[in-house]
Amino acid sequence: MLSVREILKTFNKGTINEKRALNGVSLQLAAGDFVTVIGSNGAGKSTLLNSIAGDFWIDQGEIRIAGCEITGWPQYKRASLVSRVFQDPMRGTAASMTIEENMVMALRRGQSRRLRRAISVKEREYFRGELRKLGLGLEDRLTNKVSLLSGGQRQALTLLMATLREPKLILLDEHTAALDPKTAEKVLDLTCRVAAENQLTTLMITHNLDHALSVGNRTIMMHEGRIILDLREGERANMTINRLFEMFEKASGSHIHNDRMILA
Amino acid sequence: MSWQVFSGTLEQGLMYAIMVLGVYLTFRVLDYADLTVDGSFTLGAAIAARLIFSGQNPWLASGLAFLGGLLAGAFTGVLHTKFKITPLLSGILTMTALYSVNLRIMGRPNIPLLRLRTIFSDVAQLPFMERYGVLVLSLITVLILGHFLYLFLETEIGIALRATGDNELMIRSQGVNTDQMKILGLSLSNGMVAFAGSYVAQNQQFADASMGIGMIIAGLASVIIGEVLIGTTTIRRTILAVIFGAVVYRVIIALVLQLGLAPTDLKLVTSIIVIIALSSPGIKKRIFPRSGSRAGKGVN
Repeated sequence: MLSVREILKTFNKGTINEKRALNGVSLQLAAGDFVTVIGSNGAGKSTLLNSIAGDFWIDQGEIRIAGCEITGWPQYKRASLVSRVFQDPMRGTAASMTIEENMVMALRRGQSRRLRRAISVKEREYFRGELRKLGLGLEDRLTNKVSLLSGGQRQALTLLMATLREPKLILLDEHTAALDPKTAEKVLDLTCRVAAENQLTTLMITHNLDHALSVGNRTIMMHEGRIILDLREGERANMTINRLFEMFEKASGSHIHNDRMILA
Repeated sequence: MSWQVFSGTLEQGLMYAIMVLGVYLTFRVLDYADLTVDGSFTLGAAIAARLIFSGQNPWLASGLAFLGGLLAGAFTGVLHTKFKITPLLSGILTMTALYSVNLRIMGRPNIPLLRLRTIFSDVAQLPFMERYGVLVLSLITVLILGHFLYLFLETEIGIALRATGDNELMIRSQGVNTDQMKILGLSLSNGMVAFAGSYVAQNQQFADASMGIGMIIAGLASVIIGEVLIGTTTIRRTILAVIFGAVVYRVIIALVLQLGLAPTDLKLVTSIIVIIALSSPGIKKRIFPRSGSRAGKGVN
């Protein structure tokens, strides 16, 4: 479903702040794969996701989704294939607009927008039904502005919006990190449920090593712009958090000085 | 205030409300402080005056003024989106360029329209319209444009445009080309502003190369006054609010004039109104209820 080949990305080229963020990353995801991505700060995890989403052009390499070579596509065009949820709950929704307006924007993701009334009665009913599944009581608040929702509610809404029009690939960039632990668990449960229901191909960054191993079917670890570990099936099932830690130290040849790497 | 002064003020307020709808579209909906307005207002007046002066149909002339404004707005939009010039500077560049363009169109700094056929002289010939023709035509125009603006902002494209002003990153990741949205919004906005310019020129029966100076601040003042007085809970309400704000702004100006201030002091008064409105925290909270909850700022 996703094929990333030998991508390179250097930020601030030619300046004192030059930083090689991606140093030849290759990754293949089959349809329905749910891959968790771990690694210390600056390892290139977000850069990898952002380069797939098209926030910037990569220097070298090739990105394909569902057979389409999208390396040269602008971000808005990639939206027809990729949807994403950000860490910051404020980024995924338009605060001054209503829940239903936000949802209809997501429902038209990747389609050309026309000069017709945005929301039909049928669609409103559909939104209500989808919101009911979240179990947050949002189904009665369709015309409320999103700014009235809590961070967790907004993140759940963003997640729902990301799946309304089934994406070929969904990118989750620490989408539970800014939430309180209880809400984070809820949003993560929701993530697993919708991913399983829709057989979504998913790439999820997390700083929680427990989640990294318990969620999804594959785990990759990044360090200094490379993938240094790729765990699947048996190898993954037998992995413990402590051993994952040790492997990280061994593979990267350095000690972890990173308080965000949590032993959950 | 005599009835005559009052109805004159009302006429002006409704005419300028057309311009204020345009300012609302960029300033509030797109969150883009567009200074093109000063130039495009005069552009509309210049196009209409020149055509009317050379004997063209005034309705056609007003329509072409609208088109001229569309182009001016698109130009600003292209400067900003394609050449990556800041919003403020893009507007100033177009505004400055338009000063020369407007003089070219008019051929001289001032065109009188006395005793020429205008849209208002046409309306005045209808039954019962001799006295209130200007008022009625301006009212109908602003209500129709306001209604169309409301309908537009509820369409798929309109929603994408509003989201572009609210959270650009989000709507781009939903597959909308935000550059196109900005160009579209700026075009429509300046189209309305130029259209208002053509109305004002025909009503005051002259066009002048400097008549657009300070128009953006008058527009901002009207938007802010309307939002504070009427509120912004829904799109429909906000549109009515800014129309109302435009009228109130003109009433305030008329009252200030009656107090004995010279017409040349008006720009100062307008600036002071806007400064007070923007700086007093209490009012500010009502005007910018969204600030702080905008994309990328703060969590929860």
